[in-house]
Amino acid sequence: MESILEIKTVNKAFGAQRVVRDVSLSVKRGEVFSLLGPSGCGKTTLLRMIAGFERPDSGSILLDGTDVAQLPPNRRQVNTVFQNYALFPHLSVADNIAFGLRAEGKPKIEIQEEVHRMLDLIRMHEHAHKKPSQISGGQKQRVAIARALIKKPKILLLDEPLAALDLKLRQHMLLELDRIHDEVGITFIYVTHDQDEAMSLSDHIAIMNEGVIEQLGTPAEVYELPKSRFVAEFIGDTNLFPGKVASVEGSDYCHLEVPGLGKILAYQDRPVAPGENVTLSLRPEKFNLSREKPTVPSIQNLLPGVVDTIIYMGSETRYVVRCGEFKLNVLRQHNRCLLEEKPITWEDSVWLTWHADDGNILQSTNGTPATTPNADSAP
Amino acid sequence: MITRLGRWVLSRLRRFLPEWLLTAPSLLWLLLFFVIPSLLVFTVAFRPPDPYGRIGEGWTLDTLARLMQPSYPAILWRTLRVSMVTTLVCLVMAVPAGYWLARQPASRRHWTLLLVILPFWTNFLIRIFAWRTVLHPEGFLQTSLVKLGILSSNASLLYNEGAVLVVLIYTYLPFAIMPVYAAAERFDFQLLDAAQDLGATRFQAFVRVFLPSIQIGLLTATLMVFIPALGSYAIPDLVGGPSSEMVGNKIAQRVFTDRNLPHASGLSALLALAVILPMVIAMVVRSRHPDKVPVEREKGGPREGGAQG
Amino acid sequence: MKPSRVPLYTTLAVLAFLYLPIVVMTVQSFNAARYGGEWKGFTFSWYAKLFEDRSIWSATRNTLVVAISCTAVSTIIGSLAAWVLHRYRTRLQRLHYLVTYAPLVVPDILMGISLLLFYVNLKILLGLGTVILAHVTFCISYVAFVVLGRLQDFDYSLVEAAQDLGAGWGRIVFRVLLPVLGPGILAGAMLAFTLSVDDFVITFFVAGPGSSTLPVHIYSMIKHGSTTVINALSVLFMTVTFAVVVISQFFSRNRPVH
Repeated sequence: MESILEIKTVNKAFGAQRVVRDVSLSVKRGEVFSLLGPSGCGKTTLLRMIAGFERPDSGSILLDGTDVAQLPPNRRQVNTVFQNYALFPHLSVADNIAFGLRAEGKPKIEIQEEVHRMLDLIRMHEHAHKKPSQISGGQKQRVAIARALIKKPKILLLDEPLAALDLKLRQHMLLELDRIHDEVGITFIYVTHDQDEAMSLSDHIAIMNEGVIEQLGTPAEVYELPKSRFVAEFIGDTNLFPGKVASVEGSDYCHLEVPGLGKILAYQDRPVAPGENVTLSLRPEKFNLSREKPTVPSIQNLLPGVVDTIIYMGSETRYVVRCGEFKLNVLRQHNRCLLEEKPITWEDSVWLTWHADDGNILQSTNGTPATTPNADSAP
Repeated sequence: MITRLGRWVLSRLRRFLPEWLLTAPSLLWLLLFFVIPSLLVFTVAFRPPDPYGRIGEGWTLDTLARLMQPSYPAILWRTLRVSMVTTLVCLVMAVPAGYWLARQPASRRHWTLLLVILPFWTNFLIRIFAWRTVLHPEGFLQTSLVKLGILSSNASLLYNEGAVLVVLIYTYLPFAIMPVYAAAERFDFQLLDAAQDLGATRFQAFVRVFLPSIQIGLLTATLMVFIPALGSYAIPDLVGGPSSEMVGNKIAQRVFTDRNLPHASGLSALLALAVILPMVIAMVVRSRHPDKVPVEREKGGPREGGAQG
Repeated sequence: MKPSRVPLYTTLAVLAFLYLPIVVMTVQSFNAARYGGEWKGFTFSWYAKLFEDRSIWSATRNTLVVAISCTAVSTIIGSLAAWVLHRYRTRLQRLHYLVTYAPLVVPDILMGISLLLFYVNLKILLGLGTVILAHVTFCISYVAFVVLGRLQDFDYSLVEAAQDLGAGWGRIVFRVLLPVLGPGILAGAMLAFTLSVDDFVITFFVAGPGSSTLPVHIYSMIKHGSTTVINALSVLFMTVTFAVVVISQFFSRNRPVH
């Protein structure tokens, strides 16, 4: 698939604050691409530069091969769905949707047909004459999308489109967005701070922090193989083990000496050398928790621990297990009915096992100190 | 029966007495000193004057007949025209100024706003007098304009309709800026981004999105300028001439010069009607919720009927 | 997208327009020339003349007497009105609201003439008393709407909480309502005071001989051509008002917002 948007070393500063720093990325035609990051990471500024509300200080933004970085928003074939929808309060749903075509001076018949088509797409014919104040949040959302899509943009930009909705509606709208995307086939660029939204909707995710893209990849890549501590912690929960490479085992594995915990076996994604300081990230669901000491092959790690806290959540249970000087987050899914077992309870002695392949050694970029234990897994 | 009635009265009393007692001071005061005097304006017009400048006995239609004389409709028309021009100029200046004020960062907005309303806190007469100083035939403006050859030395900046307009605009401009600003402050400026994102030019966005959104502010500004302008008396009296008299001047003349109160009363009744009319219109417009006011109407043609099917 | 410059330039033009006469007048009050066509040197003589004028002092005294009594009465009545308007939603209050709102939109001259007709009908002699009655009438409405504005943010559960804790109405009013609504009532009182000091048209119609307030006195000075000291008087008047406004703004900014 060819790319529809190429961003090359774009920079933007507000005063002394560099909000976007040397960002480069490319978005493929027809995909859903997410910009994910905490508030203030520069994702919205990047989006506003793509839309044309801000001009980059340097770098280029190629839309279908032409540089649009210096064009005003009304001359770019890119449209935005705003965070609070920004529906015109004085216009009806149909007039809101028609706004863009009226501004172009399209013939009335054509506008009518297009509005009709859009109302079909968002299934809101019966509300066409209502004002934005008379429809619900989810409906406003759909009108905002239709209003942008009627312009047949090359890219639809969505700025935290679900942030104002409650949880149930958010889940429903995610499915709705997915359906609309499938139906129109336009490229979506989706800005959010919510990892679940990004994971469930996107083909690719760029995770931003302090103006830089920390990692870019498919949802599975950024979850399973986070490159930095920031990514590991921002997407999902994790346990971090700061340690030192004790020995390298063959071409694929190494032993880490983790102070306060002991020796653990880990898969080496990249070549490491003995004595190197590294951090291992291990997702809570990768653990196996058992009351009896299991017999495990040497490729598995085995640690004794004591149950500190239990949080029952229905489909799963979270445990905090004291293990050496660490408190580990362990997630256990209930494939079988919990009530039939003799349940694990507070202060029980338990055994934790995990496969060496399930841990991921972070690429300690910008010298993330591997010696300070993170608050979650600190003793 | 009696006791039942008594109990009912008592229960009503217990329920409404606190409200009645607390409402009484202001309601009675305003009924006595505002509502009754206002109604008097309409009745005294039908009384004859008495030679001592008081109100005579009996009833008459004389005043009404005299108000039909051609000089009065002319003055009424001038009053309306001057007030409309004042309102229009104030709105044209207030919209960009209100827009600019609303876009200021909150920290700066407080002081810029204070700067705009500060002159309004100076005494009304002092402001008029200040303009007399500026426009005075021997003042700096006229002398410099004459020196520059723009004005002939016997022309006058004062005592004409132009001077009345300038001072009226000066006096009521803050009353136009404040409601426009208040409406603009509630305006979501992201809507302008959205309009441009959808292909509108900056001017299109301003006219089709900003102006309709602040229409209540515009309406309030119009009333706040137009109604007091209709009732102007001191401004045309002090900076205007005989050719720029307004209804207010005539009322004052009848009271203080001719001492003909019924005649003054008749003129006031006329002015009151002129004031009530725009207020009723405004009330009708406002009672229809802004949501229901169709703003973007295409000339002729169906309103996207197909889309509603 | 670069923001348009039109709004900025209009605002600057508006500010220039608003301050031009004030600046000219201030300069003129120190100008030895009478009309300021040219600068004939700096002088304090207009200010000196001003302090010798006894009629100005008596007008100032009248103004203060009217303003203070009007503020006291209208603040009490207006605050009460705001409270009932906020508290009750009955048909009586709808009438009450209409009657309170109307004086805000009726032009001054109509209010002046109608009160004059009222006094003449009842054969009441015009004097300071009639002026005070007139001022109270229009100030009630302003106070009521300022206080009503503050009441919009008032949480009635505070009163219920006080009742729940055993407070009677006296305690509720003095320990809860007044402290919480104090800034609003004060703002209303200040507005009433300023409006009373400022009013010319209504006062002009209902003032009797010897009850001229400062604005009425200034008017007759302009009318009768004794204008030399007005510049100086105006500058003093203005300085005091500006100082009061700026200081009150400064305090209201630092005061914690309820």
